[in-house]
Amino acid sequence: MSFRKRAVVVGQAGSNSTASQVTTTNKALPPGLRPSPLDGRLTTSTGTHSLDGLLAGHAGLALGTSLLIEEHGTTDFAGYLTRYFAAEGVVQGHQVHVLGMHEGWGRELPGIGTGEVSRRGSEMVNEEKMKIAWRYERLGEFGSARERGAPQSPGSQASSSTAVFCHDFDLSKKLLLPSPSPMRFVPITTRPPFEFKDLDTSVSPFTGFLNHLSTQLSVSPNTVHRVVIPNLLSSALYPPESSRPEHVLQFLHGLRALLRKYPSQVVAIITLPVTLHPRTTGLTRWMELLSDGVLELSPFPSSALPAKSTPGAATVHEEPPQGMLKIHRLPIFHEKGGGGGEASGFGDDLAFTLSRRKGLVIKPFSLPPVEGDTEAQQGGLEHEHGKATKVDIEF
Amino acid sequence: MSSRIPPLLEPYLALPPEASLVLLTSVLGASTNWLVLRFLHSALSEVSSGVSPEDEPKVLLVSFMLDLAFWRENARRLGLDLDKLAAKKRFVFVDGLSGLFLSKQQKASPAKGGNVTLSNSGLESVSEAIHNDAKTLRHSQGTTKIMLIVDQLDLLLAAGGDAVNAVGLGDLLLGLREEVHCTIVSLSADLPLVSNPQTPLEANHAAFLISTAHQADFTMSLRLLDTGTARDVSGVVRVTVGDRATEEDEDIQRKIEEKELLYFVGGDGGVKVFERGQ
Repeated sequence: MSFRKRAVVVGQAGSNSTASQVTTTNKALPPGLRPSPLDGRLTTSTGTHSLDGLLAGHAGLALGTSLLIEEHGTTDFAGYLTRYFAAEGVVQGHQVHVLGMHEGWGRELPGIGTGEVSRRGSEMVNEEKMKIAWRYERLGEFGSARERGAPQSPGSQASSSTAVFCHDFDLSKKLLLPSPSPMRFVPITTRPPFEFKDLDTSVSPFTGFLNHLSTQLSVSPNTVHRVVIPNLLSSALYPPESSRPEHVLQFLHGLRALLRKYPSQVVAIITLPVTLHPRTTGLTRWMELLSDGVLELSPFPSSALPAKSTPGAATVHEEPPQGMLKIHRLPIFHEKGGGGGEASGFGDDLAFTLSRRKGLVIKPFSLPPVEGDTEAQQGGLEHEHGKATKVDIEF
Repeated sequence: MSSRIPPLLEPYLALPPEASLVLLTSVLGASTNWLVLRFLHSALSEVSSGVSPEDEPKVLLVSFMLDLAFWRENARRLGLDLDKLAAKKRFVFVDGLSGLFLSKQQKASPAKGGNVTLSNSGLESVSEAIHNDAKTLRHSQGTTKIMLIVDQLDLLLAAGGDAVNAVGLGDLLLGLREEVHCTIVSLSADLPLVSNPQTPLEANHAAFLISTAHQADFTMSLRLLDTGTARDVSGVVRVTVGDRATEEDEDIQRKIEEKELLYFVGGDGGVKVFERGQ
C-alpha cells in the first residue's frame, strides 16, 4: 500500500513540474514576444532594458505601436537606440525593414555581449561560462533591479536561453547576420532608375516603402516585423520635397494604418533630428501626434575636460549622465487618456548614459553633490548641529 | 450605469440640443479619446432616462486617427457593444485611418459590418461618404436624431495637401451639420499649431480651430497640468461657453456653465473628475 501511495505522490509531483515547465517555457509565442503584465497584449523588446521599463508598465513595446525618438544636436544617441532595436530583431528572428539606409548600416549592429551565448551555438560548452556571467550581471545590476523587470534566477535562465526577452549587446562587437539576411533596406526614391527627367515633386518619396511594407506584411503573416526609420527628414538622406506636410504626414498616417491593421505583427521606431525640425513647428507636432510614443533626447554639450571622478562615495560607481530624456507620450497609456501607469516615468527628470557593455541606460536624474563645496557642507552641518544643541538647551 | 459618467460632467455629456456644435480640443499627452467615449456612452447606453426606445439617438462616428478595434475595446469597458449597436442600426463607424492614404494596396479589404472605410482624402469624397452614411442612418427605423462625432478632423487639413484648406473644411463641417441633429468635433490645440502661425499648415490649423471654436455652443478643452505632472491627475478639462450661446436666448445656456475641472484616467479606463482641491 505504502509503496503504491508513494508512487502516486512521485508521479503527481513529476507531472506538476513538467506541466509548469511547459506553461512557463513553451507558450507557443513567437520568439521575442511576451504578454504585457498590465493587460496581456503582446509586447516585444526595444533591445534596451531601461527603455522597456519606461513604457508605462507594459515592460516592452506593445505590438502595433510606434515610437518616435527626437534628438537635439549633432550626436547620435537615438541612432544607437535604433541599432539596439534592429539587433534585437535580428537575434529574435524578426524581419527588420530599414528605410533610407545603406546595407552597411546592417553590418554595424552591435553584437551580443559576453553575458549571453550566441544563439544556437554550442550551448553545452558555454553553459558554464554563461552561468558565471549571469551571476556577475546580477551582481552589477543589483541596484537597478527595477529596470530588469522580474528577477530571473540563473538556473531558469540557463535552461530557457531561447526565451530571452531582451539581450545584452556589446558595442565593441559586430553582430553576425544569419545567411538569408532578415534585414531589408529600402532606399528613398522618387523616380525609377535610369530616368533623368526633372524630379516630380508631387510624388511622395515614401510610397515605395509603404508598398514594400504592406506586401511584406501580407506575404508573411507569422513573423514579427520591425520597422526602423533612422533620421527621418534629415536633409542628408531625404530629398527636400519629403518635408512637405502632405508627404511625410500621409506617410506616417499610412504607417499608423498598417500598424493598426496588423496589430500583432509589427512595431516601428522612428528617429527625428529636432534641431532641423524644431518642436515648435506645426509639422513636428503633427508627426508627434501621429506616433504612439514620443521621447526627446537632449544630450549635454560634450565638455572638453575628462570626466572627473568625484570623491563622493555615492558617485564613484556611477558614470556621469550624458543627456536628459523627456517623455512626451507613451504608447497605449496616453491613448486611453494618461494615468494609472505606475512606473511610467512620465514627467520625471530622466537622464541617460551610453556605455559599451550596458547599452543605453535611462535612470532618474539626480545632481551629484557639488565638488569643492565641502566647507559649505561642513558649515551647514555644524550650523545644524549648533541649532540642535540650542534646541536641546531650550528643552 | 450612470456611474460610468463622472457626475460633474453629466450636464455637458447629455445629448446636446438640435443643431448644436460641441468642440473638444486636445494636446499631446492629453487626448480626447476618453471624452469621446463618454459621449458615445451617454448617447447609446440603454438607460437613457425616460426616453422611449424609438427616440434613442443614433451615433455616426468618424475617426481619422484610431481604428474601430480601439473604440470597440474601450466601449466594451463602459458596457457598450458597438457591434450589436451597429447591427441594430444605431451606430455607424466611418474609418478614416486604414484606407485614407493606402488606397492603392488596400482595395482588397471590403468594408464589413456596414462600416465604411474612407479611401480618398479629397474633401468631396469624404463629405459624400459621410453624407451617405448619415442618410442611411436616418432612413433606418427609429428616430432621426443623429449625433455626429468627428474625431481629429484636423488630420485632413494637415495631411491633405494644398487641396484642403480651412475654408473648405469649414464648409464640409457646415454641410455635415445640416444632415444631423448635433455634432461633436475633436481637434488638436497644441501650442505650436496655433500660437504663431507661419507655415500654411499652422495658418490653416489656427484658422480652422478658431472659426470652429466661435461656432461651437461650448468647448471642452483638455490640457496637461500647468504645474507639472502629478500621480493622481491626468490633466485639466476646461469648459467654455461659446459666444453664440451667450448672445442668443438663455435656453441653450440653461445648464452649461463655465468650469475648470481636473480629471484622472485610471489604468482600467475609469475616469474620475473632480474640482481643484477635492
